[in-house]
Parts: sequence; C-alpha cells; structure tokens
Amino acid sequence: MNHAHHSSGVPEHDRQPPERSEYEQVMHLDRGQLVAETSRPVPRAALSARAAAGLWALRVFAVLVSLMVIYTFIDQLH
Amino acid sequence: MTATPSELRLTGEDTARSRDRARVHRARGHSRRWLLLWLLAGPGILAMLGENDGPSMIAYAADGAQYGLGFFVPLIPVLFAMAFICQEMCMRVGAVTHRGYGGLVLQRYGRAWGWFGAADLTLTNLVTLVAEFVSIRVGLAYFHLGSGVAVALGLALVVFTLSGGRYWRWERIALGLAAFNGLFLLAAILVRPHAGAVVSSLDFVPFPGGSSSTLLLLLASTVGATVTPWMIFFQQSASADKGMTARDVRHGRYDTAAGAVLAAVFGVGALIAGAALLTHGGPGIQGFAGAGFPEALTHVAGSAAGAVFALGLIEAGAVAILTICASTAYAAGECAGVSRSFNSSPRNAAVFYAANIGIALLAAVVILIPGAPLLSIALNANVLATVLLPVSLVFMVMLANDTALMGARANKRSTNAIAITVIAFVGLCGAAYGIDSFLQATHLTGP
Repeated sequence: MNHAHHSSGVPEHDRQPPERSEYEQVMHLDRGQLVAETSRPVPRAALSARAAAGLWALRVFAVLVSLMVIYTFIDQLH
Repeated sequence: MTATPSELRLTGEDTARSRDRARVHRARGHSRRWLLLWLLAGPGILAMLGENDGPSMIAYAADGAQYGLGFFVPLIPVLFAMAFICQEMCMRVGAVTHRGYGGLVLQRYGRAWGWFGAADLTLTNLVTLVAEFVSIRVGLAYFHLGSGVAVALGLALVVFTLSGGRYWRWERIALGLAAFNGLFLLAAILVRPHAGAVVSSLDFVPFPGGSSSTLLLLLASTVGATVTPWMIFFQQSASADKGMTARDVRHGRYDTAAGAVLAAVFGVGALIAGAALLTHGGPGIQGFAGAGFPEALTHVAGSAAGAVFALGLIEAGAVAILTICASTAYAAGECAGVSRSFNSSPRNAAVFYAANIGIALLAAVVILIPGAPLLSIALNANVLATVLLPVSLVFMVMLANDTALMGARANKRSTNAIAITVIAFVGLCGAAYGIDSFLQATHLTGP
C-alpha cells in the first residue's frame, strides 16, 4: 500500500480504513498463530497419581544414570 | 483466515510470519506442489542434518574404524527411522498447537517438569556445543588453522544468521550450509570402498565383539547421534515459528522423512569413510585424539578424502551450532514466557537472542581452555544426550496424545506402540552404558 498516494488526492471512499490495513498484515495467519493468542497459557492437565509417580521414577532414574556417566567421564580423565 | 481485525494486538512477529504464510497460500492456491514443498521444508531437514553433527560423524567414523561396516550400516537407517517417529510428533504438535515444546510442557504439566526439561536441554546443549566447536577445530586443524579461528567462525555464524530478524532467512542459511553434509558421502566415495562389502553389510550381522564398555559407548553414542533432546525442542518450536499449521502436517512429514533419509545416507558415508581405517590401526580409537580422522584418512585414502572429511566436520559443527543454539533460545524464551522467535527484533526478544549467543559464547570459552579433554567430551556428549532423552520423549508422546490440544491430530495407537518401543530402546542403551561403565570405573566389575 502506497501511503504517499493516500495523501495526494485519492478519493476518501478509495482509502483503506486503518483496521483493514491491519487485517491485511496478518490475513494469512490462523487466529491461534497470533502472538497475542500463543502468549496465553494452555490450561493445566490433570496427571493421575500413577502417571506422576511414573514420571518421577523416570526422572530419578535419568538423573542417577547421568551422574554415573559424568562420574565415569571424570574418572577417565585421570 | 480466522484472525479478525477487532481486538488484534499485532506484533512485528505476526506480520513477518504472515508474509511467509502468504507465499504458502499462493503456492497452495495455484497447486504449485514443488514450490509448496520448498516453502514448507526446513525444520525436519535441519533437525536431522543438524544431528549429523561433529560428535555424531566422529561416532559413525569411530564405529566404522573399530568394527567395520557389518553391524552399523543397517543400524543407522533403523535409528533414523526411529528418529522420524519422534520428530514427526514434534512437527505435528508444533504445527497444530503453534507452540514450542518447552512452553507447552511447562504450562500443561507444571513448572517443575518444564524447568527440568530446560535444565536437561541446557546441560546437554552446552556439552554438545563444546563438541561442535571441537569438530570445527579438528576440521580446521587439517588446514593448519587453530582453535581461535574455530571460535571466531562459530560465533560469527551465530551472530550473522541472527542479524536478519527473520525466521525464513535464518532457516535458508542453515539449510544452505546443511547441504554440505553431503561431503561425508563424497568422502565415502573417495576412500573407494568395495561395493560388495557395502552391499553384504546390509545383512544384519551379529553384534560385533570386543570390550563391552567400548561397544556400549559406541552403541549409546550412535543412538545419541540420531535422536537428542535438542531435536525435540528445536523441531516443535521451529515448526511453530515457521508458521506451520495443521494443513501443513503432510508436508511436514515429507520434510522430516527427507531429513531422515539424507541424514542416514550421509551418516553411512561417514561410517564407510571411517571403515577405511579398520585395517590401518583404526581400532585404536584414542589414537585419533591427536591426529584426528582427516589426517588418518589422508594416510589411507589420499589427501582429497582427508580434506573432504575435514570440510565435512567443519560443516557438521557449524550447522549444529546454529540449530542447538536456536533450541536453547526457544526453550529459554518459552520457559521465561517472553517473545521467542527469529521473527522478533532483538529489542522485543532479548532473552531469545541473549540465550542464542550466550550459550555459543560459553561453549567457545571451554574449547579455548588449554588441555581440556575435548575428544572425550565429544564422545560423551552423545551418551549424555541418550541418557536424558527418554524423559523428553515421554513428554513428547504425552503431548502428541493430548486430544485437548491435538484434537483429531492426536497419536494413533500404532504410533504410540512404536514410540514406546523407541523410548524403551533408548533408555536401555543409555542405562546399559551408564551402569556398565560406572561399575568398571568403581572397579566393581572387571573390564
């Protein structure tokens, strides 16, 4: 859109309203893609006690094995 | 278009993304299939070729040098098929929810899980980035250039790609660089392998012999060379940042599949190049610490093969630096709840840009430390990623099954069955190496 053209005698009815211009800027996005939408947090999911326990067990296991790998790595340096 | 003019709070990120999407809409509207493929390609290929990074290519070459082609040639395509299953879920969740992995885990399952994931990512990314700078250093050393040049090159690349303030520009530069991952295939051709040996290696031979800890290290690092936590964060966030939607999922699959095929072919290339060293002292992997693979290849297959392999290592390190820094930046922005997009300006996305450059700077400092055990870091980077991966994958599967988020695009039963098998396999590989090597290090079992 040529803004200079607007100010040089284009009839009033040919002008795009500012709202329309803003619309054109994002007309190829889904509403859910707008930053204003993605900034809103999604609702929290309810985890069952079993699922939470399983996740914690996996987390503890991963940390323990990571510590073993790090220990071995440091040991191999000596 | 579902956005309406009323109540819109538009940002520069929105308008930049909309411009990219306008081209996708035009290509789709005019049924220009190849153009549409070109426009929607990116996150999948970059995740896969980004993971064909320095430590991965060193791991493949070490596999070849230690054990030859027999076991690993068929294993690498299987591992990349596994990677496709994981990465397709990331792409699908990113395209449908328009949100990154870190932010979604944090909001959906609680802050603790979000921050755990971010901490895992930061640790593995930092170690892996050190390995990427090592890879560039090893490649440059072939051309008699030092670690200072490696650091300058890596950091300049990160800053340069960030300077455009557009996702599209960053992605196309990274894709252009990633094309040179094909140098490993060229290296394989230059070592003139016996075609019969390569073909016969496709029969899945029994597990190779040798020391169990070395074999487990190579197996765990080979698994870690195909799927890692940063790939999960990166592909989901990049798919959202690119502006992909549920309509683009089919093309996202093509993109991810193309990345997996290319990465497997180039990975096998590195393996074949490394296998040329098998009968020339290759099994002494630690011997490569000083000389490096490029020099070793020069002695065996000529200077062209060595130079191509060295250039490949520089490329592999450079592309991975870009994608790994990006994954860190996405995670930092998502967990902090602030702007995280290449389409935002540095002023509007200060955390994103600072994390992107900051982690690269931190890794660069490590490789400048005299006497740092860089090769050992490079091999262990993949192992650490393998060990921490199952947790990230479990949350990925949970998100992909979340019908409140995914609707009809949620996982099918067959996808879940394969994904759970992959998680179990990755967990076993990491745990087997971690426990076996720990027991040996503490002298609780013999070597």
